[in-house]
Formats: sequence, C-alpha cells, structure tokens
Amino acid sequence: MKEFSHLVGWALLLIALAVVPLFVHSARWIDFLEMTLFVAVLGQGWNILAGYGGQYSFGHALFFGTGAYIQAILQVKLGFSPWVAMWFAVSGSVLVAASVGYLSFRYGLRGSYFALITLAFAEAFLVLSRSLKSITEGGNGIQVALNQDPEQAIATFQFNFAGPFLSEYGFYYTIFIILIVAFAITAWVERSRFGAQLVAVRENEDAAKALGINAFRVKMGAICLSAGITATCGVYYVQKFLFIEPGIAYGPAKSVEALFAPIIGGLGTLLGPLLGSIFIHGVGELTKATIGQALGGRPGVDLILFGTILILVLAFVPRGLVGLLQSGWARLTGGRDA
Amino acid sequence: MKKYMLNGSRRDFIKKAGATTALAASGALATPFFARAAAPVKIGIVHPVTGWAQYSGSQARFGAQAALDEINAAGGIKSMGGAMLEAMLGDAQSKPEVGAAEVEKFNEAGASAIIGAYASNICLATTQAAAKHGIPHVVDVGVSDKIVSRGLENTFRFGPGFGAVTKAGVENFRAINKAAGSPTKTVAIVNEETTGFGAGIAGIMTKGLAPDGIEVVEVLSHPTPNKDFRNIALKLREIDPDVLIPSHYYNEGVLFLRTLQRQKVQPKAIYSVLGGASSQFRFVSEFPDAAQYVMDCNHWFDPGNPAAIALQAKTNAAGLHFNYEVFLAYTAMMFAADAIERAGSGDRGKIMEAMTNSTWGGSIMPYGATAMVNGQNTGAQPLVTQVVGNDIKVIAPGDFAAAKAVFPRP
Repeated sequence: MKEFSHLVGWALLLIALAVVPLFVHSARWIDFLEMTLFVAVLGQGWNILAGYGGQYSFGHALFFGTGAYIQAILQVKLGFSPWVAMWFAVSGSVLVAASVGYLSFRYGLRGSYFALITLAFAEAFLVLSRSLKSITEGGNGIQVALNQDPEQAIATFQFNFAGPFLSEYGFYYTIFIILIVAFAITAWVERSRFGAQLVAVRENEDAAKALGINAFRVKMGAICLSAGITATCGVYYVQKFLFIEPGIAYGPAKSVEALFAPIIGGLGTLLGPLLGSIFIHGVGELTKATIGQALGGRPGVDLILFGTILILVLAFVPRGLVGLLQSGWARLTGGRDA
Repeated sequence: MKKYMLNGSRRDFIKKAGATTALAASGALATPFFARAAAPVKIGIVHPVTGWAQYSGSQARFGAQAALDEINAAGGIKSMGGAMLEAMLGDAQSKPEVGAAEVEKFNEAGASAIIGAYASNICLATTQAAAKHGIPHVVDVGVSDKIVSRGLENTFRFGPGFGAVTKAGVENFRAINKAAGSPTKTVAIVNEETTGFGAGIAGIMTKGLAPDGIEVVEVLSHPTPNKDFRNIALKLREIDPDVLIPSHYYNEGVLFLRTLQRQKVQPKAIYSVLGGASSQFRFVSEFPDAAQYVMDCNHWFDPGNPAAIALQAKTNAAGLHFNYEVFLAYTAMMFAADAIERAGSGDRGKIMEAMTNSTWGGSIMPYGATAMVNGQNTGAQPLVTQVVGNDIKVIAPGDFAAAKAVFPRP
C-alpha cells in the first residue's frame, strides 16, 4: 500500500512537472523552472555518490566540466552532431570518474581525504583547461556556433530560435527528460541490490566488507553513475548557453551547487535534490523579489538573507526538507516518525 | 441648438458645429496620444553587482544610471513627448546563467532595450537571451570579439573590442617610440591567461612590432587571480627588456606594478594594453609611486569634452572612481537613448533599426560618428594615457593628446 501511494505520488509530481509550463506563459518563469530542474539533476548526481554512498565529493565540477568541454569540443573542433557528441561527453566524464575513483578507492581514501582529492582533481582540470589552448581555447572559452534557422533547431540541439513551441519549452522538456532519467536511475539504486550494498558501505565499510560486499566495486559503480548524471548537466549547459570556459566548467560554483540541493532537500533520499533545488531557487527568487527589489541600490542584501535562511535550514533541519516532511506527516497521521 | 438655428444661418451652424467637433476630436485624439507618449520607456540594466566582478559591475551600473538620470533631467525622450527612461536593475551575480535569467525578467517587464553586462562571458549569455525576444542589447564593456561575431541582429557594442584595442596599442606604441628616437629594441609581455582577454596579445604584438625591429624577448603568462609576482619580476630583472607590456585585471595590475617597484625593475617604459590598473585613478591615488609614468592603451574618454569632465566630478562626488566601466556604461546608455529618440518609439524593432543606422557623434568618448558594422561601432578607438604626478594624461593619438609622452621615463 505504501509502495502504491509512493508510485501515485511520483506519478502526480511528474505529471505536474510535465504540464506546469503549459500553464505558465512566461519565459521568465519557464527559465526559473529550467534552472531549478537543472540543479535538481546536478544534485541527484552528487546524491548517488555522497547521499547513498557516503563518499563526499567537493569537486563534482570535474564531471560537469568534462561533459561540457567534450560536448563543445566535439561540435566545434570536429564537427560532431550534438546528439552524437553527448554520448561521448557522458562516456568521457564516466572515464574520468573511473580514473579518479580507481586512484582514490584503490588506496582507501575516505571522508575528508576523498573530498580533498576530488577538489584537487577539479582544480587540476581547471588548470589543464586553461593551459591546453589548442584544444580548449584556454581562458577564451569555446563558443558553439549559434543556429538561428528554425528548421535546424532539432539537428543543432538549439531551441532559442526554434519557432513557437520549441523556443519556449524546448529546453524545459529537455531538462525534464534528463530529470526523469536521473531520478529513475536513483530510484533503481535505492531499490536494487547494488543500492543496498552502497548504503551498507556508507554505514560501515569494514562491516560491509566482512559481509562479503566488494566495497571497491560498489564505490566505483557509484562514482561512475554519479559522473554520468552530472555530465548530462554539462551537455545541457553547453547546448543552452552555447559557451563554456574554465571558470564555469571546473570552478567551485558548480561543485557547491551540486551538493547544496541534496543537503537542503535531504541527503540520500530520492526526492531530496528536487525539493532542495525548489527551495533554494524559490527562496532566492523570493528574497530577490522582496528585499532585493526594496533595496535595489544595495545589491547583495537579498543574498545575505538567502544565505541566512540556508544556514538556519542546515542548523535546524539536519535531515533536510524530506526529513521535515516525514516528521510532519507522522505527526499528522499520529504515526511514528518515518 | 435651437437658438443657433434661430439666430444664425444653417451654413453658419454647420461651420461652427464642424469646428467644435474637429476641436473636440483633435482633443480627444491628442489627449491619449500624449498620455501614451509620456509612458516611460523601460531599459534593463544588468551588471554583476555581486560576486567576483562586483567592483567593476557596480561602477558600470553607476555609469548607466548617471546617463539615464541626465536624459530624464533634460526632458526625457523628446520625440515621444518627453517620455522618461525607466531603469530596471538586474544583478548577474557574476554568472552568465543568472545574467540570462535577468534578461528574461526584463522581457516580461517590457524592456525596450538592455544595457550590460560588463564581463564578456556574461555578455555572451545576455545578448543571446535578448536575441530570442528581439530586444536590442548594447554591450558596455565586454571586449571579447566573439560577442559581435555571431550574427545577432540585436547586439551592439559602442566601444572597441579586444582586437581593435590591441591593434591600436601597437600603432600608438610605434609612434611614441619613433617620436623618442626609437630607443626600444626588446619588449617583454606579461599577460593574464585565465579569462582570455589578455591571451591573444602576444601574437598581435610580436607581429605588429617586428617592422620596427623590436623583438618580443619573453612572454610571461599568469593566471587570474595571481597572488605573487615575485618570480615574474625577478625573471624580468634578469632579461632586462627595454619595455614591459602588461595586460591583466585590476588586482593583478596593482600587485604586478607594486612588485616591479619593490624589486627595482626599471625598464624604459611600462606600456600596458588593457591594463587593469594602469589607467585607474584609484591605483594612482593609492600607490602613486608605483603608478608613475605607466602608459596604458585602454578605453578612455575625450579629455576635452565638458560632459566627460562633469561626469568625472559626479562620479567622484558619489565616492566612486572614474574608470572605464563608468564611462563605457554611461556612453552605452546615451547611445541607446539616441536610438530611442530617433526611433520615436519604445518598439524594439524600430530601436534596433535606429541603432543599426546610427551615426551618433555626441558621445564623451573620442569616437567621432558612429558606424555600426555587424553590431560593432567601427568608429570606436582607445586612447593611450600616462600617469604623471597624481593625474592621468592622454598622450596619444595626437588629436586627443593633452600631454607629451614621458619616454623613456626618468
């Protein structure tokens, strides 16, 4: 019964996300929804490795940036179709993740050591992307040629000038489909034998090993899945903004965005990254519309309020918004805390 | 009516009634016309006023707002019955995607034009987002030549791009060097390589200086941010070039020039191209010794223009620094206002057309008549300045020079 109600809940949520843009006739709010789903996917990528696997990465920009750069380089330098390039982008990012994972897990790096090694790799790739100018164009960044021909919109995977429906909703439904795939993978992780082993490793790696779980293999699987999902965000970013440069690709901003949404929403939960992203973007927009608008001459005040709210949530809702909802639901139904 | 009929002829009545109707009709039509005309024209102003580019973004916002205030104080858009310009402020938070989101807001709010967005990577995102809605976008600072090379009909840049500034930098240096008896045989280039604006300088300089027998003996690149220039300074002391050509952002510019001073690296000249600090009043006032005689080929206002001097006074009174961000954003807004004036409408298409055909020559910059080619004002040019005492003087080209170059420096 509980399983059925979960399924119904998810179906309703997905239907709502599928139809909401049709009622929102505002490019501004469609853009808001797009970026909310984008961060939710980014967060879900991080959540698989950190939330379910307990391997806290501080350098997920490594996977985002690698996906983005491969997508841009293959199109611009080698003339690949974006639809073909995206598979290489995801595979390339997974390969990088496998290398980092092998080096880290093979030598037993855990906790803060693993966090630091991921951060170090992201920084190393940042330097590389600036230095390998013949491939990455260095600090100039790579710009994908803009398509303004509506008939080529799908072939070029660019929807800005794609005619009435696609130009308005094309990128929304793209990120919506990516979200469904990412969440389906996470749902599989949650219910599969692999997921159970991953959680066991998170809870106590030595105990998991004693039970016969191959912790190295499980963690490698998690980092590859995580990187694959994160890389799709890089692909999406390049197709939407048609530009990538080292700071955007490998800078700390994307790493922080990736971990914030699941931490706020609920670490190691399926819904957490989506709830967290909605909360972060919603509060951000609200503070901008209220405080930011009222104090237009004093920029940044809305960001201070936004930061304060996030700190309060982190301090007083340690299990994230999902935990808060579960407690609230348990109180309402008179049941025990879920 | 009966009285009219009784006292006057029928023809007289028709004449008077016709006149009255015409008067009423003209009034009825005219009133809403003026009401419509007086409706404000909304302008989106987007800059990174928080995040890593906060200082420059805030400066640029001030410049754009100062122009807007001046236009409104002078009676607004006259061709639209004195319609006021209404600023809609956006913060790009130093992130391209946030800049693009701000453009979506401007579109919803009915912006007729957009000014912004300082950094090249943000400008790439905002111009593209504006193009989707057909909103004319005037780029104020972003120097990357990619911004105006994508065939976007809505994108205009009033100031010069990187290529134009560097080319002018070469030509002006050759002229200064020749005027001083060609003392330069070797130069060393120190450029930032992180964001790319300084990345193309070495190639252009090497090629451009070769005809005068000047050799580029060393190219030293560094990342942004860079916290230590001692190694670079020591290397420069070792190779001892006649002239140093740095190109980087403000913080690195300050640190580099101060390190040269401390390490006693004293070439015949420091000639920056788009030097972050080399023509900044803030740097001159805070570190006058390190700034002495530093030359810079950069965005600069026409020193003989009274409006520029007035803007400088206004900027100083606001506690800000009269830097390139201020006068480029100010000019971008003025350019947009001129186009709106000539378009006589807040219609985006008409404004875009007016911008494309603009020949505006009233700016505070040393540009002459505007000539847009693919959205780039080909009449735009940088000037060469030199720090002398506590002031920054224009030394080249000759038409705008207020002082003679001190070269080689004492």
